[in-house]
This record gives sequence, C-alpha cells and structure tokens, in this order.
Amino acid sequence: MITTVSLKDALLDSAREVFETMVFMALEGLEDDTTNLGDPTLLGSITFKGNLEGCLGVCCDEACARTIAANMLGMTSLEELTDNDVSDAMGEIANMVMGAVKARIQNEVGSIEVSIPSVVQGRELRNSLGEGAVQVKIRVNIEEQYRGEFSLQYREGRPNDVP
Amino acid sequence: MGKSLMIVDDSATMRKIIMRTVRMSGLEFERTEEAGSGVEALEKLKTGPIDVVLCDINMPEMNGTEMVKQARQLPTCAATKIIMVSTESSEDLIKQVMADGANGYITKPFTPEKFQEKLAPLLN
Repeated sequence: MITTVSLKDALLDSAREVFETMVFMALEGLEDDTTNLGDPTLLGSITFKGNLEGCLGVCCDEACARTIAANMLGMTSLEELTDNDVSDAMGEIANMVMGAVKARIQNEVGSIEVSIPSVVQGRELRNSLGEGAVQVKIRVNIEEQYRGEFSLQYREGRPNDVP
Repeated sequence: MGKSLMIVDDSATMRKIIMRTVRMSGLEFERTEEAGSGVEALEKLKTGPIDVVLCDINMPEMNGTEMVKQARQLPTCAATKIIMVSTESSEDLIKQVMADGANGYITKPFTPEKFQEKLAPLLN
C-alpha cells in the first residue's frame, strides 16, 4: 500500500513539475508553515476514484491565482485577465498536478479515474472526505512571493467506482 | 498551401495555453480554430478538412476518445492528424485511443519542444 510519505513526495514533485513547465514559476516546499494563505482564496479541486478515491486541491490567494493565470497565458498585464481566466487556470493546475501524481503512483495503486476539475472562491476553504480519510498536505513558497497549499485526501476505494 | 489547426478543449484557458505553446514551438498554421467540446469539434469537422486536431480527452458532454472514433467516420477527416493532449498517461488508454484513430499523444504538462517533436513529423 502507498504511504503518506511517498504520496507527499509525489504531490510536491508533481506540483513542481507543473509550475516549472507550464507556469514558469519556482516552487519550494515549506516545513511547518501554518500561516494564513490570505482572504479570499481560490480552491481548485479534482476528485478521483478507483483503487484509491479522494480529492486533490490547490489553494492560494487571489493575487497569487491571478499571477499564475497570467504566467500560463503569457500575459504581461494582470488587467487583461478575466475572472474566468483565473478560475480556469486554477482548475487546470489541479487537473495537471493530479495527472502528474497519477503517473507517479499508478504502478503502485493501479487504476484511478479522474473527474473534471472545479474551482471555488471564498474564505478558509478546504476539501473534506469525512471520517476515515487520510490527508497529505504541503505548503509551498511560490517564486518567493506567494504561499500556496496542495492537499490530497484519500481512502482505499472500490475498484469499479467511476467518478 | 498553409496548414490548418483545431484545438479541442472544454477549458478556454487551456485552449489559449495550447495555442501559445504551438506558436512558441515554431510551428506555423495559416488557419486556427477552437472547439469547446467533442460535439462542437465534430460539427466543425463536418464542414471541411482540418490538417491537425489537438484534442483533450477528459471533457464533459463528449470525451476525446469518443470524438476521435466519430471523427474517423467523417469523409472530411480521412487525412486529418489527431493528437490527443491530456493529463491521462496510462499506457492502456494511450494504446486504446491510438487504436481508435488518434495519430499521437502529448501529456500535460507539456513544453513547446514536445509539440515540435510530435507535430513536425506529421506536417511534412
């Protein structure tokens, strides 16, 4: 069975890969960081089912999300961005990080099917799978300017479940 | 004669990102189109040939694998090169979608170099 340590490594490595390749921003893991991410925050989430079922989330404040979206789209001015661009970009980050995590763990956990991502904006947002779920969470420093959080909540699933 | 490109993805932002990455790769297309779903892509493909289609897999309404199957039934798509662009990277899925009629596969996250490597041979 996969361990929380290996999942944490897979989550951080995947987030780094996506940020370096598609967002063009450096991302570093932070130990024991519990500072507030700011308000309001955006939370991009994507669920998965199969041998492992759960939810991956990426959360950061609005300023960070706008910078991420601008970098992904190659925009030099944040004023050109629409709210939809920012929301879409956060969903795509969740989607791509989930895809990269899946690629790293699929030999160990086997089949996983992934849903379509969703994004919400608000205060103190977090995903919850309820009792019995394991949570892996990493805080990151993005370009030494922003804080962000990647989380993965999961439990062993039923193999034939489909999102 | 210049080549034509269609990008199929339910995310408008991802369509823009793919378009930007194609430009950064140095590949040139005379005409570009976008579709927000497999259904919309098929409607556009029925109206005339497109040289290259870059298509997401995980989409609502009609996913990319179904779109490829139906596109291959269209006379206008006989010579169209269809490349899947997805976060999905399982070997079984890639084999299946290639068997259904796709010509190539690019996994997200991607780079301009990856587009150059996969698309350039198909354009010559």
